Amino acid sequence: MIEVKDVTKKFGRKQVLKGVTFTAEKGEITCLIGINGVGKTTILNAIMALTPINSGQILIDGSAINKKSYEKITFIPDAITMLPQMTIGQSMQFMQDFYESWNQERATELLGFFKLKPEEKISSLSKGNTAKVNLLLGLALDVDYLLMDEPFSGIDIFSREQIANVFTSHLVEDRGVIITTHEINDIEHLIDQVVLLDDGVVVKAFNSEEVRENEGKSVVDVMREVYQQ
Amino acid sequence: MNRYLKLVNFELGRFMKIYIALIGITIVSQLAAVIISSKSYLNNANQAIHVDRMTIEAFVEQYGKMSFNNVTNSILFFGPIALCVVTLLIYTLFIWYRDWFGKNTFIYRLLMLPTARLNVYFAKATAIFLFVLGLIALQLVLLPVERLLLQKMVPVDLRLDMTINEMIRYFDQIGVMIPNSFIEFVLHYGIGFVAVFVIFTIIMLERCFRLKGIFLGIGYGVLAFIVFFLPVFIQEFILFNYFYPAEIFVLMILTGLIVGTGSIWVSNYLLTKKIRV
Repeated sequence: MIEVKDVTKKFGRKQVLKGVTFTAEKGEITCLIGINGVGKTTILNAIMALTPINSGQILIDGSAINKKSYEKITFIPDAITMLPQMTIGQSMQFMQDFYESWNQERATELLGFFKLKPEEKISSLSKGNTAKVNLLLGLALDVDYLLMDEPFSGIDIFSREQIANVFTSHLVEDRGVIITTHEINDIEHLIDQVVLLDDGVVVKAFNSEEVRENEGKSVVDVMREVYQQ
Repeated sequence: MNRYLKLVNFELGRFMKIYIALIGITIVSQLAAVIISSKSYLNNANQAIHVDRMTIEAFVEQYGKMSFNNVTNSILFFGPIALCVVTLLIYTLFIWYRDWFGKNTFIYRLLMLPTARLNVYFAKATAIFLFVLGLIALQLVLLPVERLLLQKMVPVDLRLDMTINEMIRYFDQIGVMIPNSFIEFVLHYGIGFVAVFVIFTIIMLERCFRLKGIFLGIGYGVLAFIVFFLPVFIQEFILFNYFYPAEIFVLMILTGLIVGTGSIWVSNYLLTKKIRV
């Protein structure tokens, strides 16, 4: 379980996170939703120790993140994390060299799934294919948790569909996923937990299935209620 | 350790094209310096001996013999050395900043590797050291080749042969790179290595605290400079030649160790606790 407890974060004088608390379970998809600048990416960066927090605590399976944690949690940011001059194949080799949790079989499967060619250079990829490579590099790790920052941002509808299909496949099964996105429609039916953020705090956190069953509302309905109040 | 070596290998590969270009420029330019300097000297000699009817002895007396000093004074000889020094100095900054900027944020990947972040720091520092040592090794190999070329071009009557040792000693820039004694080696390279760690720490401060970090970095740089040269300052301004040179040397090794390990410790803290992508 990933536990984010009362986390605060300031950038200069701007308080971006004002005591954010939520948990993300293994085997569930947790979606962080909020307008731009609300601190969604900052939360993911903080979980990965890519930005320091001012106060609060972040635990992964009960422990603070350390070097070994990167074998069981990975982050897929909205920009590719490989060098532009590298090919897809070289990027995969890099991952294989450094991560014990790299699963070459799954990587090859993902190459086929996304219809990518190993000899293609990162710099020559379209935005959609770049997002797919980013996803490939994250999903091919045998990790317990996946953090994804805006995986659908700025990419074409067919690539979006392909990426959304990943969430229903065995590739994500049994893993804990935290995802930030604006494109809620593509994955609304897949989300287990929703965390709505506004002005640096969690304004509502709920189980989408429970809300659907008990109140007959979709995630978008709840979002409307919360953000249009 | 294994991941550290892989990181070093990766860092070396990222700069290799530029590095090979630097090696190529150095070889071509320095050999050209030998050829052009020798030809120029021989043209003068031919003019004087065959046209102006001077004897070889008279020419040598008036103009001196051709030595390797004629070559090292040429911009074609010291130009590539300066180019390599400047490139590696810029690279000391670039080796970090290129990972933060641009569309492809490689720093995410480096910081998320399942290894101590200090390994990334050491891998970058090691790459710089290896590049520096590689260029010095190249210069050491080139000097005898250049001497041989000069000997082949200029007749023995007109040239003053120098040993490699003399060539290094008479040319200040090479003298700094290729020390004559172990003490000089420790001093020159110790200062260089400590300087790289200090620069890396300043970069870390800037990357962690951005604008505030620039001022912190400048402050850290000044502090590191003062601490490192403290024995010299004490000797010059407080105790007035109290220490023997050997004592100053030992004290500077101590202050160097303090600044070096201090920089590594601060960088490790920043990389683990304060770094921002």
